[in-house]
Amino acid sequence: MMGPLIPQGIITGEWDFVIALLLGIAFGFILEASGFSSSRNIAGVFYGYNFVVLRVFLTAVLVAMIGLLYFDYMGWIEMDLVYVLPTYLRSMVVGSFIMGLGFVLGGFCPGTSYTAIAIGKIDALVFTGGLFLGIFLFSEAFPWISGFYYSDNLGNVTVNEVLGISNELFTFILVVMGLVAFWGTWLIEKRVRKTNKHYKFE
Amino acid sequence: MNRNYLYLTMLMLALAGGLFVLPERNNEQGTLPEELMWDIVQPTRYATTDQVARMIIEKDPTIELIDVRPFDEYTDFSLPGAVNIPLDSIVNENYQDYLGIQDMNAVFFSDDDIKADQAWVIARRMGYDNIYVMRGGLNCWVETIIRPEKPDETASRQEFEKYILRKGASMYFVGGAKMDENTGSKKTNVAVKRKKKAAVAEGGC
Repeated sequence: MMGPLIPQGIITGEWDFVIALLLGIAFGFILEASGFSSSRNIAGVFYGYNFVVLRVFLTAVLVAMIGLLYFDYMGWIEMDLVYVLPTYLRSMVVGSFIMGLGFVLGGFCPGTSYTAIAIGKIDALVFTGGLFLGIFLFSEAFPWISGFYYSDNLGNVTVNEVLGISNELFTFILVVMGLVAFWGTWLIEKRVRKTNKHYKFE
Repeated sequence: MNRNYLYLTMLMLALAGGLFVLPERNNEQGTLPEELMWDIVQPTRYATTDQVARMIIEKDPTIELIDVRPFDEYTDFSLPGAVNIPLDSIVNENYQDYLGIQDMNAVFFSDDDIKADQAWVIARRMGYDNIYVMRGGLNCWVETIIRPEKPDETASRQEFEKYILRKGASMYFVGGAKMDENTGSKKTNVAVKRKKKAAVAEGGC
């Protein structure tokens, strides 16, 4: 047995939506359970008093990376069949800046804004309204910006391919970086919270 | 500080480091012999010369003809629109783009169908789908499409219909030269009989 299931023809492409729904429910549940519906937790990364977002996402990335490599080794998953999104370098850099700006201004990312709506937050509702407005404007303006959007296409590459190192080495480097980030942010948090008296930490 | 975090940190490092010390392991899972046998005995993996001819004439965009003979034979004569992948190059990296194109039906052919069959088995073993063999190869192509034999007078109607189709295909592939034999469009001397001028006062009034 070897995944991924759809490119292998083991299950049909129509299952995409069913799997997406199940994963979406699980993802939303875990976001809410990790406290991501609170915009204070999210914006805290930028002020240095709460790095839970960074830690949760980095943990997810590292566990998934290591897990996939072990799965590949065991022959449970065929890594060559896993779809890699194409990298448009310039537009991705600009896009991530816009995303970060929206993050710190609104206190949500698209996913967490929905979990916040699910628990009845009005600011999240307004945020989602802005999100749809942004999607609409982007779609309308796309003919003008498509040239920029598709520029600097590196193709379907992964970071280790670009750097010319093995998958294992890159994973190890990222794990070390991640662990340093965990402990580092923990120290930053401690220092900031000492001086920051007006916010109550749970 | 929670001690569990320390354990988790160590576990992560150990797992990531463990990736380096894993012994080599080959996960290549080829086609199982039973599966290959099952695929080989299917008659549907063959395409007849008539089917191929019709698809070429109708300019079917889903057909991809692959000539597996050596390059010099390919340059001498091949089917229209065919690409050349010599049998010994089927596994070559550079040719892989021709195989496994989505929604394309690759049809292998050679002089007979032995080499094409071999190419088919290799390609199947490499995991390609939608691959076929032109039954009888180019020899059969010449016999049936280029020089179709007229059926006996007593042959069935289907035989005659097939013959007419093949005749049409032959005209398509060989061109006008063949056509002239039958339609008589060759320049022949047709004697023009001119009406003699009526002699003056021929006949009386």
